[in-house]
Amino acid sequence: MMKGYAGRTLEVDMAARTFVFKPLDEDQARLYIGGKGYGTRLLYDRTEAGIDPLGPDNPLIFATGPLNGSVAPQSNRFAVVCKSPLTGGIGNAACGGSFAYGMKRAGIDVLVLLNRSNTPVRLEIDGDAGNVRFIDAADLWGKGTYETQEILGKKKYHAVIGPAGENLVLYAGIVSNERIAGRTGVGAVMGSKKLKAITVSGSRKLEMDDPDAFKEYTKWVRGMFKEHPVLGESLKRFGTAGIVGTTQARNIIPTKNFQRGNFDQAMQVSGEYMEDHELVGVKSSCIHCPVTCGRDVEVEGVGRVKGPEYETVALMGPNLEIGDLKKVSKWNYLADDFGMDTISLGAVLSFAMELHERGDLDAGIRFGDPSGISDLIGDIAHRRGLGDDLAEGVMRMSRKYGGHDFAMHVKGLELSAYDPRGSYAQGVEYATTNRGGCHVQGASMYLESVGPLTINPQNLKLKADIPVVQQNLACAINSMVLCIFTTYGMIPKFVHEMNPDSFAHKALSFALENSGSLFMKSQQLKGKPMLWWEKWLTYITGEPLSGGHLQEIGGRVFNLERMYNLREGVGADTDTLPPRMLNEPTFKGMTSGHPLGQLLPRYYKNRGWSPEGIPTAKTLEKLQVHV
Amino acid sequence: MKITVELTYAMGKALGANRFEVENATTVADVIEKTKARFGDKAAEFEKLTKIATVAVNGVLMSYRKGKKTKLTDGDVISFVKAAAGG
Repeated sequence: MMKGYAGRTLEVDMAARTFVFKPLDEDQARLYIGGKGYGTRLLYDRTEAGIDPLGPDNPLIFATGPLNGSVAPQSNRFAVVCKSPLTGGIGNAACGGSFAYGMKRAGIDVLVLLNRSNTPVRLEIDGDAGNVRFIDAADLWGKGTYETQEILGKKKYHAVIGPAGENLVLYAGIVSNERIAGRTGVGAVMGSKKLKAITVSGSRKLEMDDPDAFKEYTKWVRGMFKEHPVLGESLKRFGTAGIVGTTQARNIIPTKNFQRGNFDQAMQVSGEYMEDHELVGVKSSCIHCPVTCGRDVEVEGVGRVKGPEYETVALMGPNLEIGDLKKVSKWNYLADDFGMDTISLGAVLSFAMELHERGDLDAGIRFGDPSGISDLIGDIAHRRGLGDDLAEGVMRMSRKYGGHDFAMHVKGLELSAYDPRGSYAQGVEYATTNRGGCHVQGASMYLESVGPLTINPQNLKLKADIPVVQQNLACAINSMVLCIFTTYGMIPKFVHEMNPDSFAHKALSFALENSGSLFMKSQQLKGKPMLWWEKWLTYITGEPLSGGHLQEIGGRVFNLERMYNLREGVGADTDTLPPRMLNEPTFKGMTSGHPLGQLLPRYYKNRGWSPEGIPTAKTLEKLQVHV
Repeated sequence: MKITVELTYAMGKALGANRFEVENATTVADVIEKTKARFGDKAAEFEKLTKIATVAVNGVLMSYRKGKKTKLTDGDVISFVKAAAGG
C-alpha cells in the first residue's frame, strides 16, 4: 500500500448492526487519490440508478486522503459523498474540524455506512481495537450540534447532526467541532439512517515516504503562508467576510434575492467591521491550520461561538437587506446548532421574502426586517408549519408556490454569494458544477473578479476555460483532502503588493486574459511537483505528482461525477442559471444577464464532451473513467 | 449631478467616512480630486491608501472603461476596490 494511506476501509451495516474492515483498493487510490474522488467511485459502483436518496440504499461515505492526519496546513478535512436528496444527483460536501484527523488516527481511510437503523443510534469506532460500538442515541436525539459534541466529549473526534438532519431538512449538514459539511443535504442522509453521531479514536501515526523532506518543506510553507497577504493577513484578521467590501464594490454581492449587487449597509456585515465590533477571538480553527480563518463572536444568551463567514453574512445580510451583524451572527449560530447549510438557508429565506413581497406566499418575513427570522429557522429545522416547505429548498418551493424566474439555484442547489452577472467564468462554473450552484468547486471568481490579478469578468475571453481548470483542480484538492483556500497562495505576495493601476499589473492581467488556449495547455503539462500540495503528495505517498497529473485526476473525478448525474437523470438541460441571472441586467448599460449560451459550447469542447454535453467515449477512455 | 462614493473599510476608518456623495463631478478624476479635497489635511493619507486600491464605476473597474477619464452620469457609484479572498 502506498504510504499516507491507512490501507483500510470500514463498512458498517446500520440495519444489521455489523461491520467489516476491508483493504483500501490501491488501484482506485492511484486513480482517484481519496476523499471526494474515491468516494464518488464507490458511490457509482455500489449503487443502482434511481435509488431514493433518503432510503436505505443510499450509502453515506466519509472519505479521507493521504494528506489527512499530517501537520500540513489546511489538510485536515474529510469529504462526505452520497446521492443528494436536494438535487437528486451527486451529493458531496467537505468539512474541516477534527474528524478527518480522528479517522486517520483510527487507521481508517474510508467509512461506508450502509442501510439504516430503525432507532436513533450513535457509533463509537475504536480503530486500535478494530471495534465498532452501536450505542442507543435516544437521549441525544433532538439536541443541537454544540450540546451533542459537549456531551460526547470535546477532546474526541466527532461527526454529528442536529435537528435539521434528524428531520430530513434537504440542506442539513454534518458538523465536526464548529465546521460543517454543509452542502447538498448530506446531513439529511445521515438523519435518514437515524445516525446521530460518529466518534472515532485510535493512535495510528501517518506513515510517509520521505518524512524528513515533508517536515522541512512544510516548515517553509508555513513561513510562506505566514507572510502571504491572504493566508497570513486578510483571512487571519478578517476571516472570509473580509471580501464583503470587494464584492460590494464589484456589484456582485447578492442583494434582495439577487435583484441587485450592491447594498448600502454592506460594510456593516464585513470582516473588518466584525474585527472592530464583534470579534472576541480566533479560537475556532481547524486542527493544525495556521490560517485560522474562523472568527469567534459573542451571541447574546449563548456565549462565545463561531462567527459567520462570507457566504453567511452575504446571504443572510445584503441578500435579505439586513445590515445587522449581531442578527446575522445569531442566525449563523442557530443554523450551525441545528446543523444546516447557511447558503441554502439564506437563499430559501430570500426566496420566501420575494414571494411574500409579490403576494404569492404569506411568509411572514420581509426584506430589511429581521423579525420572525430566528423563529422561522427553528421551524425549518423542526419542519413546523411553513418551515416544512422551506426545508425543501428553493427548487421545490418554486414548484409549489411559483417564482421559477427568481428561484436562485442550479440543479436544485442554492447559489453562493458571487453574482455571475459580474463574474462570467463563475457563472459557467455554477451552471456546470456537478453538485449544483456552488463556488468552492472551482472558485473561478478569484481569477476574474475578486483576486489580485483579475481579468475583465464581463467579456468572453477565457470564461469557458478557467472553470475547466479550476473545477479539475478543486476536484483534486477535495480528493487529497485539502482546504480550497490553499489555492489562494498560488498568487504570490508581490502580485498582491502591486498597484492595480500600474503598467506591470495591467500587463500581467492582459497576458492572462489573452492567453487563449495556452492557458489550458499550460495547466496540463506534466513535469515535476512544484506547488505545495504536489510536493506534499509526493513526499507522503512516494508517487511524484505534478500539476498536470492533478488536472488529469481532477478531470477524471469531474467526469465520473458527470456520468453519475447523467445516470440519475440530471442531464445537460440542467447546465443553466436561474432565469433572473440570464435575463435581468444588474450593471448599467447591460441589456441582459449572463451570456451562458455563448460560453457553454466552448466549455463542452474544452471538456471533450459532445455538443449535447455528454462525455465522449474517447474522453472517458483517455481519463480512465470506467462506467 | 450626484455621484455616490464608497471607500474601502480601511479608508473609511482612517478618514472618518465610508459612503458619501459628491456633486458636479463628471469624470472619475473629478471624483478623486473632490474626495481628496473633502478630506483636507487627511488627503495625503487618502492618496496613500488609493495606491493599493483601484476604482470601479458602478461595479466595473475603470481600467475596462476609460480609466480616470471615464465619464460619469447622475447616480453613478464610484467604489474603491481592494483585492480579497473569501469562501
